[in-house]
Amino acid sequence: MQPYQEEYIANLKDITVPAGKGAVPSSFGEWMTWMERHKKAADEKAERNMKLLREELFPVLDHIYETDSQEISQLGEFAGHLLAGREELDVGLYCQIHKALLNLARRTKNREVMIRELYLLGMGYYSLCNKLVGMEYAVSRKYISQMRLCFTEAAAYLKYFDEIEDTETRGFILRSRANMALGQFPAPGEKIHMVKRTLQILQDKGYQEKEPGLPWDRYIYMTHQQMAASISYTRELTMTSRDIEDVMESVYIVYQRRLKEAAEKNGKPPARPAFAYCAIEYYCGMYDINELLTRMEALMDDADPSDFSADGGMYSIISLPAFYCQFLNFFPELIPEREEYVESLYRKVLAYVESFPKASENESLFVYLRQLSATFVETKNSITYKEFLIRLEIHFAPAVYVHCRAVGTAAAVLGDLILEEEPGYFDDIPDIRQIKDRQKKRRKVREYAMECGLLYDVGKISFMNLYSQASRQWFEEEYELAHLHTQLGAEWLSGRKSTEGYAPVALGHHSWYDGSRGYPEVYHRLECPCRQMVDLIGLLDWMNNVTETARLYTGLHKNFEEAVEEAVALEGRRFSPLLTARLRDKKVTGKLRDAFAEGRREAYRQLYEWRERG
Amino acid sequence: MENRETKGKKENRGYLVIERGRDGRRILYADHGACTLSGYSMEKLLAADPEQAAGKLEKDKVMLGDGHELWILDTLQNRLQRRQELEQMNDALEDALKAAEAANKAKSNFLSNMSHDIRTPMNAIVGMTSIGLSHIDEKSRVQDCLQKIKTASTHLMSLVNDVLDMSRIDSGRMTLNEEVFSLADLVHDVTVIMRPQAELKKQSLVIDIGPIYEESLMGDTLRLRQILVNIIGNAVKYTLENGNVNVCFRQRRPEEDGKKEWEKDTVLLEFSCQDNGIGMSQEFLEKIFLPFERVNNTTISKIEGSGLGMAIVKNLVECMGGEISVESREGVGSRFEVVIPMSPALHGKKETVFPGGLTVVLAESRDDRAAQISGYLEEGGLEVIRTKEGMDTVTRLTEAQYENRMPCALLLGQGLEDMQVLELAAHVRQLAGRDFPILLVSEDDWAQIEYRAARAGVNAFVPCPLFQSRLMETLGSLMDNVGEGERQQADKEADYGSRHVLLVEDIPLNQEIAMEILNMTGVQVETADNGAEALEKFEGSPQGHFDIIFMDIQMPVMDGYEAAKKIRALSRGDAESVWIVAMTANAFVEDIRLSREAGMNEHCSKPVDPERLQEILRSRFG
Repeated sequence: MQPYQEEYIANLKDITVPAGKGAVPSSFGEWMTWMERHKKAADEKAERNMKLLREELFPVLDHIYETDSQEISQLGEFAGHLLAGREELDVGLYCQIHKALLNLARRTKNREVMIRELYLLGMGYYSLCNKLVGMEYAVSRKYISQMRLCFTEAAAYLKYFDEIEDTETRGFILRSRANMALGQFPAPGEKIHMVKRTLQILQDKGYQEKEPGLPWDRYIYMTHQQMAASISYTRELTMTSRDIEDVMESVYIVYQRRLKEAAEKNGKPPARPAFAYCAIEYYCGMYDINELLTRMEALMDDADPSDFSADGGMYSIISLPAFYCQFLNFFPELIPEREEYVESLYRKVLAYVESFPKASENESLFVYLRQLSATFVETKNSITYKEFLIRLEIHFAPAVYVHCRAVGTAAAVLGDLILEEEPGYFDDIPDIRQIKDRQKKRRKVREYAMECGLLYDVGKISFMNLYSQASRQWFEEEYELAHLHTQLGAEWLSGRKSTEGYAPVALGHHSWYDGSRGYPEVYHRLECPCRQMVDLIGLLDWMNNVTETARLYTGLHKNFEEAVEEAVALEGRRFSPLLTARLRDKKVTGKLRDAFAEGRREAYRQLYEWRERG
Repeated sequence: MENRETKGKKENRGYLVIERGRDGRRILYADHGACTLSGYSMEKLLAADPEQAAGKLEKDKVMLGDGHELWILDTLQNRLQRRQELEQMNDALEDALKAAEAANKAKSNFLSNMSHDIRTPMNAIVGMTSIGLSHIDEKSRVQDCLQKIKTASTHLMSLVNDVLDMSRIDSGRMTLNEEVFSLADLVHDVTVIMRPQAELKKQSLVIDIGPIYEESLMGDTLRLRQILVNIIGNAVKYTLENGNVNVCFRQRRPEEDGKKEWEKDTVLLEFSCQDNGIGMSQEFLEKIFLPFERVNNTTISKIEGSGLGMAIVKNLVECMGGEISVESREGVGSRFEVVIPMSPALHGKKETVFPGGLTVVLAESRDDRAAQISGYLEEGGLEVIRTKEGMDTVTRLTEAQYENRMPCALLLGQGLEDMQVLELAAHVRQLAGRDFPILLVSEDDWAQIEYRAARAGVNAFVPCPLFQSRLMETLGSLMDNVGEGERQQADKEADYGSRHVLLVEDIPLNQEIAMEILNMTGVQVETADNGAEALEKFEGSPQGHFDIIFMDIQMPVMDGYEAAKKIRALSRGDAESVWIVAMTANAFVEDIRLSREAGMNEHCSKPVDPERLQEILRSRFG
């Protein structure tokens, strides 16, 4: 790698270290000072990284057609550090580099490089797809298609396996073929069919004899694993008997091998193959759903909370509960008798996550947590989904939490000021409308505004690399991806009783006031029964963003006075005139400024207390 | 007196005038009716006792004053009969009054309800004007908007003429024009008018094309459009949200119609429109073709219309020698069928002929649509490879590219099983390069998807409903224009020859590549090595000389931002209007914003994508 590339990587690693880590403060004040220093240092490193990209990398991409092979190879190595397996430092930049390298390979008609770059770019897209777990297929399909098309094109060269002599390229072709089955499919059967076809290819002796240098056993075993794992993606009643038959063989192969490995160490096979084994027996009708759930409980109970490996504790404590809850969602009549278990399960998950070393750097952990979040079962005494999400936000995205708390506090203050003058202002919300007592109504609005503040941006948890761990400005594609946080947040919130009231605010907080233009263009103002609160949060979110957080992502920055002025200038177009009218009053803006500061300080205090407890 | 007697006779009544004196009553006057009824002669009657003379006859007495009375004599039978007649007359009068009131009400409604038919094309005009104004610098989009405005305003004019038409029809003065028209254009125009209305109600408006033998026909296109818009418009209007309206156009040869003798060469244009709307009662069906009538139904609110439409439609169809029929059931829906004999235009249809052995990949998941498109292509001599999935398409194209047997084009349909067609287009554009023709056949409005489609690398668009001539002409022109080895010449002919482009780029190889791409389009390219040189060249050029400046950002001496700002700050007339496109690898959102803030119009990422450059030229020059 070149020096600037090494520096970029080192800076990235420093920036992504969670704030507060390594600090030994003796008081909250000292901790705040430390945090401010950390933020300043991170901002400076991000600035430096931007400079490195502008001055070093972009000119290389600019000259890519005349760049020498050594520099091209260094670029590839640099990209390899940005996304290395599950360690993800900067997948956006990784994709940019590989797109440029693919473009170069196409232009120079270098087929072997092209195949490799297609595979590597596909892996970059796969990483992006993983951030959309829990989102409707229709929304994530675009990213899945991009990934799948790259793998498909590379895999198409399988037909010319004989003519391609390079062993590594042949490996990329086969791996691309296998990766075509990654990600969601409209129907589980399609995924199973795809993996099955890959298995047929890999088991074909003809191919194996042509290239004995490739790790065929590993490829085949991994594909069996992929097939066995596909059982986790299936839905009750959607698997055909043919699908079950296809999956069964892989499940047995994987299970037997893990059983043997475990026996050699006098242990039990890991939970993943054990669950697949149980599940396939259930799908074969060997026992009923109750028995399957009981067996899953046994697997979850066996989990070692000090095991932080992806296949070990992480799977048994987070991913398996996600599938367990998915079954409960399909059979809600089974929930009452398993309520207690569900309650203990979430407590265990949170305890595990909060003790996880370098949790925020672990992409697998996020993927599993997204699965768990998407299947969350809310019971009478369990932790509420609301609390669960807020704790995830505090733990994994403290910067988002600070922003949200600031917005929530300011929303409570501005909402209260509005109610003083117009008691019926928030009466579009049924729960508020029915409160007749003015004081009670004001209290309720304050509470609701604060909670909306805490939850409206929860979708950002999925895009940690774009927010909490952002180390540079976004590329255009990342900006587009970031837009999805509203939809993802709304999808999560709308599915549970404790959070459904906040979903419209999550969905609509980036909408234009007049509804004719989105922000960004594709967004439309939400038709919902809490329009006023959506507008309120939307305005305050924007204000805190431009004054505090957006500078890094988009290069936009304003001081508080400029933000007020701009918001008023956008009156009636982006923001409700009913709200911006209040911003003309200096007393109101003064209180808002204080509220933002108070909210941020309170958020930091909670982070400090959480840290002290932990 | 004579008259009265006559009348009395006719009415079979008799009249007596009685004088009351001290010595009792006496008859002072009697008419013939009284004689007839009483059986007395006049002489005897005048001398008779009145009570005695009247006998058992019915009598009505009217006091006249001064001791005189008028007796009206009648038989019981006559009286009953007269009462009955009177009642009948009263009933008839009442009916006539009701009819007059209804007609009056219908005319009043007609005046107040005209708003819809006028407002619909007005909405299109106002909406398209706004879109056009907001994209005033994009020639092709403005052209598209203007075309739609023209269509809608022409339709509006025809509506305003409805009233006049009705009076013309009433007085038998209706005449039809005989002109050559394209059935494809007619159907496209009708689709453009109707689809937005159906979309507003979230309805599925399917327009199918059956066998079409003659696309170029003789007839009155305005009147035909009036017929079609009226019928489809009613279907949309009287169908609830999320309902279905299915329209089909087809042609029959005269020999297929056994009922009538048709002139030689006549083709029968058949049009059907079926909806699952509110339908009509039998009672209403009987008067559907009467003026000022329309269905009232509480489930459909705000139905607007002149009520003249169907009456005019029927008369127009009959004027054209055709027939119209309707079937309907309340709550189920309606089906209109129109058959109009038409003459083909004298000149033969223009056929696009492809050399043998050419292959087209057709990516479309729906079997019926794929069958239609394949049929058209195969008739044109092309071999079709049909795929249903994006992944399959990419596999086939990759193999074809490897084996140097690339198809002559990729034809994208409405949908794929595994991804959006534009997602596939974007990948194929990268895979197959800029010369490979990608065609989109879609039901979507091109104005709505053009930006995304062009960015994804789609070269051309064929609207649905699909006509063979449209498809083959577009494909033919694409292959002429972007066909292998012919692109250079073809693009030069694409009238960019008079356009001047300033390419500002400091890296010689990048300059060379961009030059190569731009030269292929035929534009006149001048170069500058940095911003300062670009500024100098622009200042030294005649007013309006440069159409586009492609500006690199990071350059020695003066960077692209500064150069753009300085060009915009010049006092010459074209300083503000010259199109400046940032060409840079700096891909942050801020970079895009900064280039806009520096006065640049577009942003083009590096490494330069030839298709993106083409797209910029297309959007700028049309």
